[in-house]
Amino acid sequence: MEVTILVQATDESFEILEKARERSKDVLDIAARLTSEAQSVQRKRVEAIFKGARQTKTEITRFTATFIILFGCWLLLSGHYDLFHISIGILCCGLVSHATHDLLFANPRAGDMRVIVKRFITYIPWLLYQIVLSNMHVARLALGPKNLIDPKIIEFKTKLESDISLVTLANSITLTPGTITLDIRDGVYYVHAVSKKTAEDLLTGEMEDRIAHIFMEADHVYVQDTLDMAPVFVALK
Amino acid sequence: MTGVNDMMTKQSDDVIVKTLSRLLIPFMQIYALYVIAHGHYSPGGGFQGGVILGASIILLVITYGLDNALRKMSEKLNTILCSTGVFIYAGIGVLCLILGGNFLDYAELDQILHVGIAQARSLGILGVEVGVGVTVMAAMISIFLDIATGGLPSKEKNIQGKRA
Repeated sequence: MEVTILVQATDESFEILEKARERSKDVLDIAARLTSEAQSVQRKRVEAIFKGARQTKTEITRFTATFIILFGCWLLLSGHYDLFHISIGILCCGLVSHATHDLLFANPRAGDMRVIVKRFITYIPWLLYQIVLSNMHVARLALGPKNLIDPKIIEFKTKLESDISLVTLANSITLTPGTITLDIRDGVYYVHAVSKKTAEDLLTGEMEDRIAHIFMEADHVYVQDTLDMAPVFVALK
Repeated sequence: MTGVNDMMTKQSDDVIVKTLSRLLIPFMQIYALYVIAHGHYSPGGGFQGGVILGASIILLVITYGLDNALRKMSEKLNTILCSTGVFIYAGIGVLCLILGGNFLDYAELDQILHVGIAQARSLGILGVEVGVGVTVMAAMISIFLDIATGGLPSKEKNIQGKRA
C-alpha cells in the first residue's frame, strides 16, 4: 500500500517536473526572441539615425556648394557691393539653392571635385587649340581649289559612362568646326563630319581619352593618373 | 488631347538636353532674381525677371516631364504664389493710401520705414516689383500648364505620385 502511494507520488512529481521544464523552456524561448527582436529594432534605429545623418550631410554639402557658386555668380552680375544689395543676394541665393540643390549636383562623387575642376581648366586651352586647327582646316576646305568636302555621318561607341562626361564630349565635338553631334543613343555617338580628315581626327579618340581623364571614368586607367599619384607616393616614402 | 498629355508626362530621352538644362536652371533662376532686384538701377524689373523665372520652370517641365516638375512646383503652390504677388502689389498701394497719400505713393512709406523719402521710394518700388515678378512667374507657369494638360482639370493622379 505504502509502496503504491510512493510510486504514484514519484510519478506525479516527475510529471510536475516535466511540465515545469517545458514551461521554463517556453519562457526562455520567448525571452530569447524578445531580446533578439529588441536588438534588431535597436540596430535598425541606430542604422536609420546614421543613414539620416548621412543624407542630411550630403544635402547640406550640396546646398552649401550650390549656394557658394550662385553667390559668386550674383556678385559677378550685381556690381553693387553695399550691405543692402549683398543681403538681397544672400536671400535670393538661399531661395534658389534651396529649390535647386538637387539639380546642380544630381550625382556628386565626394572628394574628387577639386581634381575634376583642375583638370577641366587645363582641358580648355587644348580644346581652344583644336578649335583653331579645325577652323583652319574648314577654311581650307571652303576656299581651296580642290573639292575635298565629303560629308557623312559616323558612329562610334564610347567608353564614357557618366552623363556629364557624355555631354562634355558631345559639346566639345560640336564646338570644333566641321563636326556636329547629332545624337547619343545607348552610348553610341552619331556625329556629322564635313570631311574625311575631321572624321579621322575624331575617330582617333584623343578627345574622348582626355575627357575620360577629366571625369575619372572607372574603367579608364590613364598614364596621367599614375603621374598625378606619384608625389603622394614620394611623400609616403 | 491624350497625345499631348502623354508627351508632357514623358521625360526627354536626350542626355545632352537633360544634363544641360539641369545645370542651367539654377543660373537662370539666379539671373531672374538679379533682374528683379536690380530693376531700379538697370534695365529689367518685375515682369522681365518673372518671365525668366517662369521660363526656368517651363524648361524643367519640357525636359523632366510634368510629374517631376510638379513635384517641385505644384499647381496649388503656383496658384497661391499667383495671388500672393497681387496681394504684395496691392498691399503696398493700399498701405500708402492708409498712410494718407495716393495709391502707390511710395513717399508716404517713410512714416513707417524712417529712411528718408528717396530711400522709401526705392524700397517701395522694389517691393512692388517683387510682387509683380511672383505673379508673372506664376501666371506664365499656369498658362503653360493649362496648354500642356489641354486645359483639363489638374492631373491629380500624376501630381500626387500615385502613378509616378
